Amino acid sequence: MTGIVRVEQAAYRYPQNDYGLAPVSLSIGPGESVFVTGPSGCGKSTLARCLTGLIPHLYHGHLTGEVWLDGLRTRDERLWRLAERAGLVFQNPAAQMLAVSVEEEVIFGLENLGLPRDVIRERLEATLTRFGLQALRNRSPHTLSGGEQQKLALAAIVARQPPVLVLDEPLSMLDTSAAAELIDHLADLARAGTAVVICEHRSEPVRQIPDLRTIDLDGQAQGGQVQDLPLPPSDGPPASCRHSILRPPPSNGPPASCRHFALHPPTSDGPPASCRHSTLQLTVSDLEVRLGGRPILPGLSFLAHGGQVLAVVGRNGVGKTTLLRALAGLQKHTGSVTVDGGPPDLGMVFQNADLQLFNASVREEILFRVPDPDMARYAWLLDLLGLGRYEAVPPLLLSEGEKKRVALATVLMRGPRHGVLLDEPALGQDAAHKSRLIRLARALAEAGQLVILTTHDLGLAAGADRLLLLGPEGFVADGPPAQVLRDDGAWARLGLLVPDWVREGVTE
Amino acid sequence: MARPGTSDRKGRLLLVEDSPLRAVDPRTKLALSVCASLAVMLSLEKIAIFMVVYALLLLWARLMPEALWQIWRLKWVLIPLFLVDWLLVSLELAAIVTLRIILLTGVFTLFVGTTTPSEMRLAMEWLRVPYRYAFSLSLAFQSVNLLDDEWRAVREAQRSRGAWAPRWSGWRGLVDQVRDLVALTVPVVVLTTKRAWAMTEAAYARGFDSPRRRPYRRLSMGGLDWALLAGAVATAAALLLWR
Repeated sequence: MTGIVRVEQAAYRYPQNDYGLAPVSLSIGPGESVFVTGPSGCGKSTLARCLTGLIPHLYHGHLTGEVWLDGLRTRDERLWRLAERAGLVFQNPAAQMLAVSVEEEVIFGLENLGLPRDVIRERLEATLTRFGLQALRNRSPHTLSGGEQQKLALAAIVARQPPVLVLDEPLSMLDTSAAAELIDHLADLARAGTAVVICEHRSEPVRQIPDLRTIDLDGQAQGGQVQDLPLPPSDGPPASCRHSILRPPPSNGPPASCRHFALHPPTSDGPPASCRHSTLQLTVSDLEVRLGGRPILPGLSFLAHGGQVLAVVGRNGVGKTTLLRALAGLQKHTGSVTVDGGPPDLGMVFQNADLQLFNASVREEILFRVPDPDMARYAWLLDLLGLGRYEAVPPLLLSEGEKKRVALATVLMRGPRHGVLLDEPALGQDAAHKSRLIRLARALAEAGQLVILTTHDLGLAAGADRLLLLGPEGFVADGPPAQVLRDDGAWARLGLLVPDWVREGVTE
Repeated sequence: MARPGTSDRKGRLLLVEDSPLRAVDPRTKLALSVCASLAVMLSLEKIAIFMVVYALLLLWARLMPEALWQIWRLKWVLIPLFLVDWLLVSLELAAIVTLRIILLTGVFTLFVGTTTPSEMRLAMEWLRVPYRYAFSLSLAFQSVNLLDDEWRAVREAQRSRGAWAPRWSGWRGLVDQVRDLVALTVPVVVLTTKRAWAMTEAAYARGFDSPRRRPYRRLSMGGLDWALLAGAVATAAALLLWR
């Protein structure tokens, strides 16, 4: 087996649990592009860390097998030598920012190569130009949008000119345009001879990278061998994406009981009156939020009705989360937000589930501070969200997808009267986790509740009942997804792209 | 040396960009800060005089609003401390203790309000602090501001699930209040730990441990640096010799 990256039966187990990477062997040649995919928990991030040497040098779990990088055995080499050969871009753009300005961020990695000052200056200018970051060079990385941060993270690595570039879910936090721009840069790097390894859930955006080889870790996670697979056909979404996951699949929808009892488990008395017909009306008038003197939401007005799933889409940093926070009463604002003329009672599930979890077990977490808990509802939530087997497990030890479901259960157990707000529910979730979460959203809506979610995932947004396109000046489009997704002018005004596979998958 | 303009996500100013001290070598500012910190050992009269000189320096450096803001943030420490010292000991002790804290707050502003973490790192390296520790300290320092955001985010997240609400429901509710505090602290600790780990990984992924590192920025002392140092020496001498 030859290649600039060689993995020979490498397997890894984290010290705190059994999750990690099942034995895997692969070889990546110089200039080859590889797309590593597989469901949540199959070991994509772990493999990315093994390829770059962070495992075993920074992690103290158990690594077996061998990983060779440009002829060096990773377990024997110092990390800085490996970092010269393979750069790693992480999932969360903000968390990998180390400096107080964009140019310092790039300089940091160049200093560590021991380059003379004039070479550093040369590479700095070339990198800023290549990635279009000149105008931002003196800005703090923390003031950049998610897309700009991820571009900077890539620039800081590419400036070091490693022959291998590994990216761990680089697109999950980016809007479609930022993702497309990042992919353009990766395609250029691949053409220039860099070996690019992308670990991602979504295959659609990475399609345009030339000669991309796909490796599915799912096969080996189930005890088989790593499989090289052809890319999904380019004339439509992959099979798992063809049905809008917000709409109940024809033969595998939510159980009948969910349709009428989303917030109320079945009882002998029949569905509560509120479930039969939704009369809830959310009225937002002239909602305006200013953050740091900057207007984020400039005078938004809209109505939303219970029984609908409403998706809000917009570019990174446009104020989608701020809108949800204002609706939940967590953000100071001017203008008014009412439900049926009174203050809203909406539960919010945050993008980062870690913010909401702190108890010693899932059971304690869900029942925390719930007076006279309705244990029938508790059991129903556990069942619906697939959390039954984790009842005694500390929530913080669960996977990201599972934590998100626990956070949702804590909100639903409290039983907000008017509905739920979901901030990027699809973030970092594979198709199975997404459909589980969204099945619940659909059930809640069918019970007459308000369900409002924000997302960058247009496949998800396409399945909502109503799609709101949010720009810096307010909503630029509002209507059924089939109509909004075809409003090319609105998307162009925001600088957002609608991938063909989304457009083609939408039905009137 | 480059002068990055920095402000955090909420638009709060981290660096006072228009301060003339931004152009001053971090070693000079460190020396001024140490001198000012040592002034807390002076008697009440001398501290009062030093405060006047120091206030003039802050005014010249356009740092007075920032310093006053920092002092205002400490009002719930300063006021009770002043009252307790005054009532239990003497007005003189109350005044000197309060002035010392105000002085140290001003010192904090002088250095922090005008120095980037990378400049601090260079100053620490010049003081022979190993790069690994200098880097970690400066990174920790620049992350302090994010703690505020994290507390706020966690508080909001807990409120939205009904797990935390600022209220007083008598002594019986005290246990609940303590649990509320746990509801805030656990996620903040988890977030901080995760962020620190993510930064560690990001740093190593860019060769943080390389022995070949060569700093791009260089420290250099200019005329203003020497003038400020001479002023500090003159002030120190005057205060020490004056009886």
